[in-house]
Amino acid sequence: MKVSGMAARSLDAFARMSIGRAFASGVGMVAGGFLVLLVLVAVFAPWIAPFDYADQNLMNANAAPAWPHLLGTDEFGRDVLSRVIYGARTSLSVSATAIGISMAAGMTLGAAAGYFGGMFERVVMTVVDLTWSFPDILLALIFVAILGPGLTSTTFAIAIAYLAQFTRLTRAQIVRLKRETFIEATINLGAKPSHILLKHLMPNAIAPVIVVGILAIGDGIVLEATLGFFGLGAQPPTPSWGAMMSSGTAQLFLSPWVIIFPGVAVAVTVIAVNLFGDELIRALDIRDRLRGA
Amino acid sequence: MPNLLEVRNLSKRFSSGGGAFRKARSMHAVNGVSFDLPQSRVIGVVGESGCGKSTLARLILRLIEPSGGTVAFDGDDLLAKTPAQMRKLRARMQMVFQDPYSAIDPRYTIRRAVAEPFEVQGVTPDRSMKDEVDALLEMVGLNPGLASSYPHQISGGQKQRVGIARALALRPSLLVLDEPTASLDVSVQAQIIGLLEDLRADLGLTYLFISHDLSLVKYFCDEILVMYLGRVVEALPDTSAPARHPYTRTLMESTFEPDPKKRRLIAPLEGEVPSPFDLPPGCAFADRCPNASALCRHETPVLKAESGHSVACHHPI
Amino acid sequence: MNMLNVHNLGVAFGAVQPLSGVSFSVGKGETLGIVGESGSGKSLTAMSVMGLLPLIGGRITAGTVEFDGQDLTKLPERAYRKLRGGRIGLITQNPMTSLDPLKKIGPQVDDVAILHLGMTATQARARTEEILGTLRIPEPALICERYPHQMSGGMKQRIVIAMALAADPDVLIADEPTTALDVTVQAQIIRLLDDLVKQRNLALVLITHDMSVVAQTCDKVVVMYAGRAVEYGPVGAIFEHPRHPYTQALIACIPRGLADTARLSGIAGTVPTVMNYPKGCPFHPRCARAEPICATDPPELSINGDTGAACHFAEMPHAQPA
Repeated sequence: MKVSGMAARSLDAFARMSIGRAFASGVGMVAGGFLVLLVLVAVFAPWIAPFDYADQNLMNANAAPAWPHLLGTDEFGRDVLSRVIYGARTSLSVSATAIGISMAAGMTLGAAAGYFGGMFERVVMTVVDLTWSFPDILLALIFVAILGPGLTSTTFAIAIAYLAQFTRLTRAQIVRLKRETFIEATINLGAKPSHILLKHLMPNAIAPVIVVGILAIGDGIVLEATLGFFGLGAQPPTPSWGAMMSSGTAQLFLSPWVIIFPGVAVAVTVIAVNLFGDELIRALDIRDRLRGA
Repeated sequence: MPNLLEVRNLSKRFSSGGGAFRKARSMHAVNGVSFDLPQSRVIGVVGESGCGKSTLARLILRLIEPSGGTVAFDGDDLLAKTPAQMRKLRARMQMVFQDPYSAIDPRYTIRRAVAEPFEVQGVTPDRSMKDEVDALLEMVGLNPGLASSYPHQISGGQKQRVGIARALALRPSLLVLDEPTASLDVSVQAQIIGLLEDLRADLGLTYLFISHDLSLVKYFCDEILVMYLGRVVEALPDTSAPARHPYTRTLMESTFEPDPKKRRLIAPLEGEVPSPFDLPPGCAFADRCPNASALCRHETPVLKAESGHSVACHHPI
Repeated sequence: MNMLNVHNLGVAFGAVQPLSGVSFSVGKGETLGIVGESGSGKSLTAMSVMGLLPLIGGRITAGTVEFDGQDLTKLPERAYRKLRGGRIGLITQNPMTSLDPLKKIGPQVDDVAILHLGMTATQARARTEEILGTLRIPEPALICERYPHQMSGGMKQRIVIAMALAADPDVLIADEPTTALDVTVQAQIIRLLDDLVKQRNLALVLITHDMSVVAQTCDKVVVMYAGRAVEYGPVGAIFEHPRHPYTQALIACIPRGLADTARLSGIAGTVPTVMNYPKGCPFHPRCARAEPICATDPPELSINGDTGAACHFAEMPHAQPA
């Protein structure tokens, strides 16, 4: 289909242009490398994890890190390492899905608002700004109240939390690009609005949106962990870094590894995402475009 | 010669900033402009910043909606066209833009950019698209090997040639040129002007040439329209006609000759161009005009023709 | 008497050499035009004379810049600062970058006299209003209370000129002072500069890409191409008997209107970038008269009286083609 072909080509050009350069610096290599590793771990979890994440062994509960449980066991004797590995899967998939939905919706709304302007733009932006005025946790709680706890609520909560940002950013890009001479030139050729939007405006607008998206995934992971900490995210026995940290607080002094390792996982992941995102911004040289958000 | 373009009383009003505590102000970027452009002629529109010449160009191509007046293209009333009809019509009336550096999508190769007119209009060329693009590039003096380059890899002059190639892809009858060489070096400007002259002869084109450079307009054009603050103050039937409007005379005296033996004595022109939002009644040039009388500050002069030469002045020279 | 004498100036940025062999001089009451297209190095020349190269990472590698007998290339920065904006003034293309948007006009011009002439605020203000009047700015006292953004382009440029004049300079360097202005405003500024040169016996260096401006207002001309001075001479000689192929081609590029029915001809090719100046004569790839030697040997200046052309085949006035 035409749209996906164009999207594929744009992403391909994007990849060739920027991601390569983002990996070029020392920071970029380490942070980016870590993220790639994390994705691989999440994807291949069943083959990498030494134990099943739900395997209980009450005889070996709260064991300190030692072979074969390299990161110790939790209060049910489950292997912490395996649960951290599967937790990566949960965190990444929830966050990536949520941000993906948010980006798609945000880009559509923002592009339409920016392109058509007028009353339509004002209505859309006001509604979207309303979502922005809600604290993320509150939004999550609202969804939990409606849909019950679990990954679906978490996903929706994260998606709505970031919708405003993507909408605003896309709209700002479109408004900026609309004034460019080449857009006027394309109108002058007799192009339909769909041609202008899909072939010129969107391809030139996506770069900052994608970078913000990557950074938002980091935030999403924290949000998912926060919800998990309150028991509102992934439900047991599905491992979630936040939930692991929550149940680990009870034995903080007896078996601190249960809370430390998932905590470190969250922290390192978010740091890596932010560092890599910064490198990407530098590589793409779009720092000035991000002010529109 | 039939008229390719007939413009009557064209106007464009812009308002700025009304609010709860402030009345909105409005100004006329273009105010009651009328002229005819016969087929195969070149008319130059000259004026300084704020005179409305760029807005006029866009009004004629209906890239901006006029507030009043009519534009007839080849007998067809442009303002009566639906958006779909307008899009189809654009193939016949094209524009070359002032800034070649931003006139091409930076993500498009030259080939894609030159092929785009066909894509947009849904026209399949007789030859293959590759051959058609190559032929167009050669027509504007570019090596077809350039086609796989990106805009940032070619020079300003080359970019402008690409702009001309795109404009001519669908064989328009009218070409509106909005300061096409203003951002180019003098040696490159000369190349582009030469190219435009050749193309006009080869393709039988009609040009509307917008510029602030009077000597360029005198060289390139058959007739000249002089604009000041949105109005046409003088329409010269040929480039050797003497100035009859005081503003035109000032313009001519401010344009230097590339000959040290022909130095001009520059008379001081007092005052500044008034803000278009706060135009005084009467002639907009009255404040700065050495010949201004009470009538001039009272009544706006109308364009009056005299053997092909029109001037809007109560006391023409 | 020559106020400013630049001889064989060479400038480098790291390994790149954007300027070489630039020479010119200008005396009191004289206007020198430095003309060239973009990338010719004319603005860089202005910066070199003002000693501003270190600011942008460049350095003078050859030649001398003599001001009133003193070699500026050997001058320490502290002494240079006294001259800059004082006895040597600079006006640039965009007046907005020379004016502080947050300060009123009056104090900005006053500061020059206070700094360079040691005046008090009252004395400086009197001087400011006088200078603004000379520059035909209406109601100087009122203008002093305004901010730059409230002024038009032409007005701003006059204020920048006032700032340069307030220090009573001997030399004024104007780098494309009218390029951003409308034609009628340009004419006013050019006339103003002309008057100033005559009334104050200034030495004016006018940098421009516009040959018509040069014809109108300059006494002497230096033509620059690819970082070199390719021709110099009195303005009459340059226009009537240009000796360098580039100068000839440049003059042929100017649209003349009716008087000249000859067709406008461009110069084939493009201006070389600093990274790849051609070997030998920088103009040879675009020159109709190039011979093999032009690609290998940089030409020496062929001097004929008060004209000079850097060309192996520079024309001699008596050999002008019809």
